[in-house]
Amino acid sequence: MKLYDYVLSPSCYKVRLMAALTGVKLEIRPVDFHPGAEHRSPELMALNPAGSIPILEDDDLILTESAAMLVYLAAQAGPEWLGSGTPEQTARVQQWLSFSHRLTASLGGARLHEMLLRPGDIAKLQAQGIAALRELESGLVEQGLRGMRFLASDRPTVADIACFPYVALAPDGGVPLDPYPGIRLWSRAIRGLEHFIEMPGIHRLHELKSEPDAEPGEA
Amino acid sequence: MPARTPAGPIALWRSQSGHAAASADRCPHRGMRLSHGFVRGEALSCIYHGWSYARPGNCLRIPAHPGLTPPETIRVATHEVEESGGVIWVAVGEPTIQPPRLEGLAPLRSLTAHAGIAVLEAVVGAKAGPEGLVWQAQNSQEIRLLLVPQEDDHTLIHVLLDEKSSASQRVAASRAIESLRRTAEYLQAKGIAS
Repeated sequence: MKLYDYVLSPSCYKVRLMAALTGVKLEIRPVDFHPGAEHRSPELMALNPAGSIPILEDDDLILTESAAMLVYLAAQAGPEWLGSGTPEQTARVQQWLSFSHRLTASLGGARLHEMLLRPGDIAKLQAQGIAALRELESGLVEQGLRGMRFLASDRPTVADIACFPYVALAPDGGVPLDPYPGIRLWSRAIRGLEHFIEMPGIHRLHELKSEPDAEPGEA
Repeated sequence: MPARTPAGPIALWRSQSGHAAASADRCPHRGMRLSHGFVRGEALSCIYHGWSYARPGNCLRIPAHPGLTPPETIRVATHEVEESGGVIWVAVGEPTIQPPRLEGLAPLRSLTAHAGIAVLEAVVGAKAGPEGLVWQAQNSQEIRLLLVPQEDDHTLIHVLLDEKSSASQRVAASRAIESLRRTAEYLQAKGIAS
């Protein structure tokens, strides 16, 4: 399975993260997204006429939507990541998978504006990002009241992985996460998962080491 | 974590044994925000050079000088903290009264609104007292709001509910407070525009 990947792209990171969590080995093909704009090259446009990355290629199957890639990886290697299959949980997973596109458009747009100087109405992007974060916070609060720690279930699903990266990197676009205690707890829960991997700007939950002893002869 | 009181920004932390503490959000060494730091055991350590402070604010350790017992004069300003019923109260200056006992109430959630306290009071139709703001929501639940002014006309709202509320009542209250925030923010924006 080959992933056309850019290390700073939160959408590409979703796929790398999902593969790591389900133990799937990906062949990584780095794409010079910036400054080379290689995703618009004839080779990549032939694979994905939309000119976006990530692209996941598995024999005859070419996927260009990150949500579909998460579902593909989960269905292959970790069906528990698709939810329990009850109508309610299936719908909740789909709800947040679709919602994740709004995070990409708003928080992702603000981040591209601030980091790569992409044109855009930054105030509007940030306002839309805050509106999306408030929805996510409210959803997580309600799940907490139902005794569940994640968006669709008490265990993480593809929905959490689809939403997590753009949320965690919101401060890159000038949108602070301080006002959202539910989101902060959720982010900690995801960063503490077994086999979690990092990307620049998103670090794992560190275990606190004991106090380092003073070296003898120092001071 | 960072928090705000009317006296300014603070670092609010909980020691390993479970005691809450509040200090000025500024390391006396190089001015780094202590809320960026980390808690190890019973001490809060600055992320910059690792100077660590006990709950009363005295400096316990300076890693660059492991043999040195830090003098008493190195200390961070602290605030009195009282925790009751799931609410942490931080005193601004010397506390003159005990924080109110909010008997029978349990914390639901905390959220921030881009609206001042006066606007929130107007929407609720009541004034906030020492025990917070009592809101009779449309679905006839009584919701208690503790309001903390933040910067730039923002207000931090701690929402409390009857501790005997059912899960669906809690979800309904969480949604009701979102509606209250929408109304208050609309009025706040309109007030500034007019």
